[in-house]
Amino acid sequence: MAEAEDVESLLEELRRTVEARREEGFYPAGLEDDLSAHFRRIVMHRTAPDLSRLDASMRRLRAVPGLSPERIPSDSGVPGGPALHRGLARLLGRQTQGILEQVEELAAALRAVADELSWAVRQASTHVHTDLIAQIDTLQDRLSALERQPAGDAGPMALAELSRRLERLESAEEARRFQPSYSAEEFEAAFRGSEYDLKSRYRDLASQLAGCSPVLDIGCGRGEFMELLSEEGVTASGIELDAQLAEAGRQRGLDISQGNGLQNLASRADQSLGGLVLIQVVEHLTAPELLNLVSLAADKVRPGGRAVIETVNPQSLYVFARAFYLDPTHDRPVHPAYLTFLFRQAGFTGIEIDWRSPPPAEEVLQPVGDPGADANYERLNQLLFGPQDYALIATR
Amino acid sequence: MQINQVMVSARPGDAITTSALELRALLRRVGRSEIFSRYVHERLHHDVWELKDSDWLASESPEDDMIVFHASIGEPAVETFLAGRPERLVVYYHNISPPELFYEYDPNLAGLLESGRRELARLADRAIMAVAVSEYNAAELTAMGYRNVRVAPLITDPYRLSALDPPPDIQARLAALEGPVIVFVGQLLPHKRPDFLLESFHVLTTYLQRPATLVLVGNHRLPRLSQALEDLTRELNLDRVILTGAVSDAELAAWYGRADVFVTASEHEGFCVPPLEAMASGVPVVARRFAALPETIGDAGILLEPGSGPVQMAEAIARVLTDERLRADMIERGHRRVRAYDAAAAGSALLRHLVEAAA
Repeated sequence: MAEAEDVESLLEELRRTVEARREEGFYPAGLEDDLSAHFRRIVMHRTAPDLSRLDASMRRLRAVPGLSPERIPSDSGVPGGPALHRGLARLLGRQTQGILEQVEELAAALRAVADELSWAVRQASTHVHTDLIAQIDTLQDRLSALERQPAGDAGPMALAELSRRLERLESAEEARRFQPSYSAEEFEAAFRGSEYDLKSRYRDLASQLAGCSPVLDIGCGRGEFMELLSEEGVTASGIELDAQLAEAGRQRGLDISQGNGLQNLASRADQSLGGLVLIQVVEHLTAPELLNLVSLAADKVRPGGRAVIETVNPQSLYVFARAFYLDPTHDRPVHPAYLTFLFRQAGFTGIEIDWRSPPPAEEVLQPVGDPGADANYERLNQLLFGPQDYALIATR
Repeated sequence: MQINQVMVSARPGDAITTSALELRALLRRVGRSEIFSRYVHERLHHDVWELKDSDWLASESPEDDMIVFHASIGEPAVETFLAGRPERLVVYYHNISPPELFYEYDPNLAGLLESGRRELARLADRAIMAVAVSEYNAAELTAMGYRNVRVAPLITDPYRLSALDPPPDIQARLAALEGPVIVFVGQLLPHKRPDFLLESFHVLTTYLQRPATLVLVGNHRLPRLSQALEDLTRELNLDRVILTGAVSDAELAAWYGRADVFVTASEHEGFCVPPLEAMASGVPVVARRFAALPETIGDAGILLEPGSGPVQMAEAIARVLTDERLRADMIERGHRRVRAYDAAAAGSALLRHLVEAAA
């Protein structure tokens, strides 16, 4: 490039090159704008606020001219006054200049303060705002990323799948729940015997709780055992899962509420009970529910109070042949040794097992007079015709 | 008769200070001449008077004396001082950076620049003559109401660096740099568009040529701008950008010595010395057609159109780095340009104007 035209032609060539490369996509579209916007974002870090009034004031401040003795007026209405003023001004010129310089210095410092303040205001009024906007942008990005995630990954799709599974489990559980067509009262009337039978059967057990007010009877049914307690002078309240039985008991003036016994027990204050009674209940509980019951009993029965648990005796095979499977809501029989173990572990003492309801004497194998055979019959009787129930009596 | 100079801020290495010292050397050949400055860098205390020591201006007939005022930035104390002096006033205009670009980085400095232009306009009636270092500056002065406006190139010696020995540690560092080195020299100020240079460098090293190193040699005046440039450098992953900060003349010479191309994206210059220094060091110059740059660079460098962006500049740099014939030609033109720029001629032109003013 020997001549000025060569410079021009070089520039023209560069222009054409850039043009062509842009068209073929060698340079991404909007490259320069993006770069420039990037730097602007760094510098501004914000959307521009309207600070025009502040800016206008700052401009006025800067427009104030420098101080000069010439701008100090020397005119006067008095004859000869202006000349006098000018004469004085000349005499004091050096001092005036000194003062003006000091004022000027002060003004410059104040201008600097105003400028810095103006800057600080600009920063404060914009930065917080932009940071929030930036955070919102980030959150929106992350949100849309989540929304784009395919099914199967953790995310909204997985949540929907979990929800469907939960619904299936709930309907299965609903089908599993035992909802008989007969009432509990009808069942009791058919199989459990009359009120009189029941009362005579349990009077001795009620006497074990003398002086143990207040007593809670879980699974109290119509409240027959509570009436026995009352005859002993013991105050009692009952909780019964079956609404009809509970209502029947209430009609006899007893303090019976309908509900889940374990929940009711858990809601009581610690050491608030003198006694706790469960008659023919624990065989309806699952293994974890039984653990929970014993633990709650230890909390709620005050020291010196008593727990009375009566249930079927799994050591007697007669029970399984006759009574246990008569009630379809029986979950599992509880072994007296296991129950004893649980209460002892929970801190109860003086634990006794009261064997109850032996099978009718006519059903037991009778001795035949041969000592050897009779000894065998006796052992068979113990296994086959052991007592149908037992009551555990424990002191807290 | 004495001709003294007044300026706002005397700092070593500063273009205005350098020209004031050169002018004083010329003036002292014919008589007494001093420099007075409102602010004087400690290294110049033996050389430059503070404005408050202006009793030195005491003269038999101050009305016959002359003050050459270097207009560069607003300073009320200097305006006040000049207003109170009986000497004849010549304004020497180096240009005042446009304040608009400074507000977002340093409103205080922007305010000083703005009041500098206002003070300059107020001095128009007081000055018997104004001297501009470029036609561009002369046009600005005329627009401000100055009547007797002359042009005299800045008194500067572009070869002054060639005699300096580079510091050994700097030399070792420069030798370790691989690939082409692109050098900008100048203070990091917004109108010099260092951001534009970083963007061009990004385009160059991403799309055209890698690896390369970009060096911005110069004082950091605005912390906010410097921070923004560092952020941009990091966010564009430009790991081969060096910001040297202020350097000694010897180090500056070392950078020119290692440079493969000199670039500036500046949009406002009253004269701009670094392109001449680059040419004197045999380095091709790429710049943009703004303000006084076409006058200073002439046909010795590539002057991109004002509307062209960083991509165009990157293409130009790549071309200079790869086209050996073009390089050789540009270097040759550069040397011719610097030789044509005669410091002595510039000085005598200025003196001639001053003598005319004094007559």
